This record gives sequence, structure tokens and C-alpha cells, in this order.
Amino acid sequence: MVGYSMELALRGLRRYPKTTALAVLTVAIGLAASMTTLALLHMLSADPLPGRSQHLYLAWVDAVEAKSQTFTSLDGVTTYDYKRLKMPDAEALLAAHKGTLQTVVADLDARVEGSNGQHFNEQLLATGSDFISMFGVALRDGRSWTVAEDAARAPIAVIDSGLAQKLFGTPRAVGRVVQIKNHAFRVIGVSQPYSPQPHFYGLNAWAFGGDSQESIFVPYGAAVDAGLASSSTDGCDDATDKGKRFIAVDPLHCEWLAYWVQLGTPQDVAAYRSFLDHYAQQQTSLGSYGKKPQSQLLSVQQWLTLQNVIPDNVRLNVWLAGSFLVLCMVNVAGLLAAKFMRRSVEVGIRRALGASRRAVMLHHLFEAGMVCFLGGALAWPLTLLGLALLRMQDQGFTDLARLDVAMFAALFALALGVGALVGLLPSWRVSMVQPGLQVKSA
Amino acid sequence: MDIKPILSTLRRHKFTACLLIAQIALTCAIVCNAIFLIGQRLERMNMSTGVAEHELVYVQLANIDNRPDAMARSAADLAALKEIAGVKSAMATNQLPFGGSSSNMGIKTDPEQQNDEINASQYLGEDVIPTLGVQLVAGRDFRADEYHDLADVYALLRKGDMNALPKSVLITQPMAERLWPGQNPLGKQIYVAKNISLTVIGVIRELARGGGIREGEQYSAVNPIRYSASGGASYVIRCAQQDREQVLKAALAKLKGLDPNRIVLEKGTFDELRHRYFRDDRAMAGILVGVCLALLIVTALGIVGLASFWVAQRNRSIGVRRALGATRYNILNYFQTENFLLTTMGIVLGMVLAYGINLFLIVHYELPRLPAVYFPVGAMLLWGLGQAAVLGPALRAAAVPPVVATRSV
Repeated sequence: MVGYSMELALRGLRRYPKTTALAVLTVAIGLAASMTTLALLHMLSADPLPGRSQHLYLAWVDAVEAKSQTFTSLDGVTTYDYKRLKMPDAEALLAAHKGTLQTVVADLDARVEGSNGQHFNEQLLATGSDFISMFGVALRDGRSWTVAEDAARAPIAVIDSGLAQKLFGTPRAVGRVVQIKNHAFRVIGVSQPYSPQPHFYGLNAWAFGGDSQESIFVPYGAAVDAGLASSSTDGCDDATDKGKRFIAVDPLHCEWLAYWVQLGTPQDVAAYRSFLDHYAQQQTSLGSYGKKPQSQLLSVQQWLTLQNVIPDNVRLNVWLAGSFLVLCMVNVAGLLAAKFMRRSVEVGIRRALGASRRAVMLHHLFEAGMVCFLGGALAWPLTLLGLALLRMQDQGFTDLARLDVAMFAALFALALGVGALVGLLPSWRVSMVQPGLQVKSA
Repeated sequence: MDIKPILSTLRRHKFTACLLIAQIALTCAIVCNAIFLIGQRLERMNMSTGVAEHELVYVQLANIDNRPDAMARSAADLAALKEIAGVKSAMATNQLPFGGSSSNMGIKTDPEQQNDEINASQYLGEDVIPTLGVQLVAGRDFRADEYHDLADVYALLRKGDMNALPKSVLITQPMAERLWPGQNPLGKQIYVAKNISLTVIGVIRELARGGGIREGEQYSAVNPIRYSASGGASYVIRCAQQDREQVLKAALAKLKGLDPNRIVLEKGTFDELRHRYFRDDRAMAGILVGVCLALLIVTALGIVGLASFWVAQRNRSIGVRRALGATRYNILNYFQTENFLLTTMGIVLGMVLAYGINLFLIVHYELPRLPAVYFPVGAMLLWGLGQAAVLGPALRAAAVPPVVATRSV
């Protein structure tokens, strides 16, 4: 019976080719629009470091000796809070060594000069010895630095192969010297270019960088010694006032270092959380500023959600495309219903000759399914076209718009699901045709 | 035209009629909101900055560290820039509206307040007023002897010698109105820290914040502080609109001539800066227009498809009506009225839906309420669309000859 229903469905499709084409096209456009935006959303909400990020946590403790400023009162101007730490607190947490790996992170602008006298403005990451292994930066040559070198504030650097090429004309730059703000740093390692998307560990610098990425990694202490300073802070001690705050971010009294820790098991996470709480409670001096002890330990996903990393535009587009798909489905359902009801007479005769309701329904469901299957097949090139159009936009994050195999499978599942849903109502309607009446009127 | 027979026919085609109504309702709801979103984007893109936008070019330089001669070098650069033919005014400043960076400061009107009252953008540089071409509506611009070098200001701040700091400030009218509603702002004090007070000596009609747009976009202040290239300055040059290209080229040549080692991060006209700043909004508006068009086309095609089927299905009854004396016009009118009724039902339902979607957007995306004018406009659009889409099938129906009635099937 299935084979017969299939055959009938195929004949049905060919009967009014214009309507069939219209229905197929409508399905294809609806699917392509929603797939394009879903693909973008999928890419943007993807895991920045698969296999690693589920063990990474951002730790924060309130240790700023100042009254808490409620920025929301400033006529809606929000000042972003990136949950960073002052250097002494970050160093205290590093020294406690309670996680598997831990590091501080700060994105800084640096003027970098190589051996040929040319200089470049580069993004520099001031960080700790664990960063390279903890965040999965691939080294081509050389090594990362050690805890001892961190403590000694050694002027050493890991640079990426792109910068090595620019500065020295070769990626083999281990042992060469790079000038950062006129301070000599020895290159001890060369890494592959590194740019996880989103840039979750330094959202204050950028979230989705088209071409921005850190090209040079140095020990944070050495960066401070070289006179590099953060251009932004989440808060400073009152003690730094006296106008100094207007000059530069004071590394000792202002929050500028993000603190990331790697924790293997849920027990480790719970233990670290209580360690942070304990650390927060020790900040007794904060009581005089009317503050209660505060600490936070956030997973990568929680952190991305808190910082609202996915642009509102993208989510709005997904809604738009979703409602567009619903509209297309309603439209196709209308077309199919009209098409099916036109053959009431025929169906009436079939029913009178003994075809069951089920057989009639099956035939029409197949026909609806085929329309959607064809629509799904046509949606594939249309989706590629839509993604190409998105990539042409100069928006930074749209460069990520690509379709993968899982998305392709999702596309087909969606097409067939739409087919079943769209076909169900008209098929049921036509299967309810009374045999007798139709035969009489014909 | 009697609508009773139309309604009774529609009752026999409840299912397809309902689908068509649902489709029009959805289109109406989505298109109303999408057009509203487009309007929002356009409004943002037309934001006024108060500066002479078509007369400005800028060259942004990389940070050259704190060397002692930074101030002198910037002064030499500016002197050279001012020599270029066609240059009306030039300055080194820390920020521009739509530029990459901004400096902002929290402001109190009383030093004892715990929280800042507003957050204002802070423009530094000599000759900000004539170079940006902003308009003073009260008070005066800075005198030449009021300016301090940025390096000296830093030195004073380091020493804690607040009394020697420059004391005057220019603020925008919206900022003055926000701080002291209905009062004369001239001579009033603002506090940027407990022990640093500034006296308002002039009021600017309009000057947008440096960097990106955010709330309080017109809260800006200008300080009499000479800016140097040490912090990565932007040189801003004002010239006649038609001279911009040529002045920019000459400026770059002069700057390279004075110091071949410097890094130019960005350069261009202010118009380009604005254009680039709004690329997301333009892209979004483009997508919305595309979606609207696609929606309308799909809906129109759906109407055409359904109407064609109905016409074909009722071929015989049309023939009978024609044989009984109905004119072509009656038949045409019948299908048009039918479409009008269906569209109207769809619109009524769609308006309710549009309002619901708008409420959702208000809650989740902080958008304002949909203005009432969108409802009649949306309705007119859909009525027009429905009538245009049904015209073809209706004309075909009107062309059915009465003789069809005499044929069997």
C-alpha cells in the first residue's frame, strides 16, 4: 500500500506543476532563512575551547577598598564589570594554588619592535605561567615560562608565528629579542596563532574578533615592570585617589587582572568555592565601606551568559526567521489544502470503491512530505547563499557564519518535520471526504 | 455589494479560508514590527553629533610613550598641519564621536554626594570649539592663557596640587539642563573628584560623546588641556568639504616628513567614520527590509495560489451566475470583496498579534512601544497587497463565459 500511495503522491505532484513549484519554493525560502540565522547563532554560541572550557572557571572576590558605586543610576549609562582583581589579591590566589592550573589574564596594547627597527601595535596578553597549557595554545617552537620565572618577573615572551614573521622575517624566532615599550624581552617560544571564539577570557577587549588576536604573551609582572598598564578597570581603592586615577590604572590598587582556574571535578569546584568565600570573609577592611563579603566562581557558559555575549541582533534575527518559517508553513498548508480539496471528487470515488481513510491520508501525507523534501533540498543552496551574504557583511562576528554537517542534517530533519506538520491538516481534511456526496454531484 | 453569499460560500471553505486569514495575520504582525525596527535603526543612524561633519578629516596615531618632547612634537605637527592650504583649523584631541576610544568621567554637583550624578564624555585639546565647528550658545570659549599641557596636569595630579589645575570647563546644553534644570549654568561648579571642582564658563548647543553611542549621548564636556601624541592622539583638521581628500593626503605627507617612524592607525573623513560606525545598523535594516519583502511576496503568492484554485473550482457556478445575468464586473467584484473580507479578518487578528510581539520585544530587547500610526499603515499595505494579488485570478474568473453553465463538468 505504501508503494501505491507513493506512486499516487508522485502523480499528484505532477498534476498542477505550478502550484507544486510554488509550494516547494515557499518551503525552501522559509527553511533557508531560518537555517541561515540558526547557523550563525549556533556558531556564536559554540564552545570556544571544546574539551577544555568545561573545566575553566572565572574566580572573583570583592576586595576593593571603596564604597560600591551604583553605576546604573547614571542616566542609564552602564559601566561594564568584568569581574577582575587587584594584583595583590590575584597573587594571593595564585600562591594558594588550590586549582589544577590557574592564571591571571589581562589584554594590553603594546608597541612592539623587532630587530629591523620596524614597530607595530600589537595585542599583548599579560598572563601567568599556566596560561599556555591551560588554554591550549599550541607551541611550534620553544617553551612556555615557569612559575619561578613568573615570580622573578623575567622579561621573556611567547610570540605567535605571525608576529615572528613580521618582526624577524622568519617564524623561527626563539632566542631573538623583542622590544616592548623599549624594554627588551627574550623570545622563549613561538606559538600558532591563537583566537578562540568568543574571546571569553578577555571580553573587555573584544568578544568576537575578526582579525584581533593576541600575538604576544608575557609574564604579567614583567609587563607591569615594562610600564604597560591596563586602559580599563572595574574599580579602584579609595586610597588611589589624589588624582592618580586620572593618569593610569594603578596595578596594585585597581582591578585589572581576570583570574581563571582549572578545576577537574564537581568536588574541586565546591572546594574552590568555599576557599573563595573564606578569602572574601577575610577582607575585613571592607566592612568600613559598608560592603559584605562577596565572591563568585563562574563557568565559561555562565560567564558568557552573564556578559550577554551573543549580539541581540542575532537573536532577534532568529526570531524573525522563525516566524517567517511559520508563515511559510501556513502558506504551504493553504496551497496544499486547496490542491487536495480540488480532488474531492476523485477522493470520493476512491473512497466509494473501497479505499480506506488511512490510504487516502497516507497518499496525501506522502505528497506533502515530498513537497517539503524537495523544498529542503532546494533550501541547501539557498542557505549557502544566505551564509555567503552574511559573511560579506563587515561585522566581525559574521565571519563565523559557516554550515557544518550537523547543521545539514538538522536542515533535513526540519524539512521533513515541517512536511509532516504541514501535510497533516490538509491530509486529514481530504480523508474526511464523504464518498457518497461527491459521487452524486459528479 | 451584498456580502451574505460570500460569507456563506466561505463557510463551506472554512479550512482554507482560516489558513489564509492566519497567513495574513502573521504577515501583518511581523511586517508591522519589522518596519518599526527599521525605523528605530534609521533614527539611530540619523543621530546628530553637533560637529561640522562634512568638513572634518582625522589622522589617528599610535601611542608614542611618554617621552619628554611629546608636547613639543605635537605642537610642531599641528603647526605644520595648519600650514597646509585650505586648512581652517587643526587640533590634537583624545576622542571623536563614533571613534574607537572615549574618555568619560563621573560628575557630581555636590562634593559630598556618594554616587556620581551623571557620566559625561571628556574632550581634551586646544581649539576644540572652532575645529569641531560646534556652537556656543552661552558664555565664552577658553582664552589662550587658560590652556595647560596634559603633561603638566599629570604632574600636578601626581603632586596632589589640585588648586593649580585648570578650573574652567565647557558643557553641552543637554548636560546643563540635566544637572540644573531651568537654571543658568554659567558659573556653576561640577566635581570630578572630591577635591577637583570645575566652573562652567560656556555652554555648547550639541556635542555627542566620544566613541560609541550610549544613553546620555549628548553629555559632553571640554577641558582646556592641550593634548599630545604621547597618549595616541587623533589630529583633527577642519577644511572645506571639497578639499578633504587633498588636505588629508597633504597632512599624511607632512606627518611622515616630520617623523617617518610614526604609526598611523587610522585616517579618513568624519563622514567615513560615521558610515563605518553604523554598518551594523545598516546591515540589520537591510536584513529587515529583505525579510519584509520576502514575507509580502510569499503572502501575495499564497493569495494568488488560493484564489486561482477557488476560481477554477467555482468555474461552473460562475458560468451559471453569468448565464443568470451577472455582469463581468459583478464577478470581479465578488472575488475582490471576498479577498477584502478575508484580509480584514486577518488584519484584525494581526494587529492583536503585532501588539503582542511588540510587548515581547519591549520586555526582551528594551525597545519602545509600537506607535499607533503603524496599525492603519500596516492595514492599508495588506489591503493593497491582497487586492493586487487577487486581481489576476479575479479577472480570469470574470472572463469565464456563461456557456460554461451548459456544459456538464
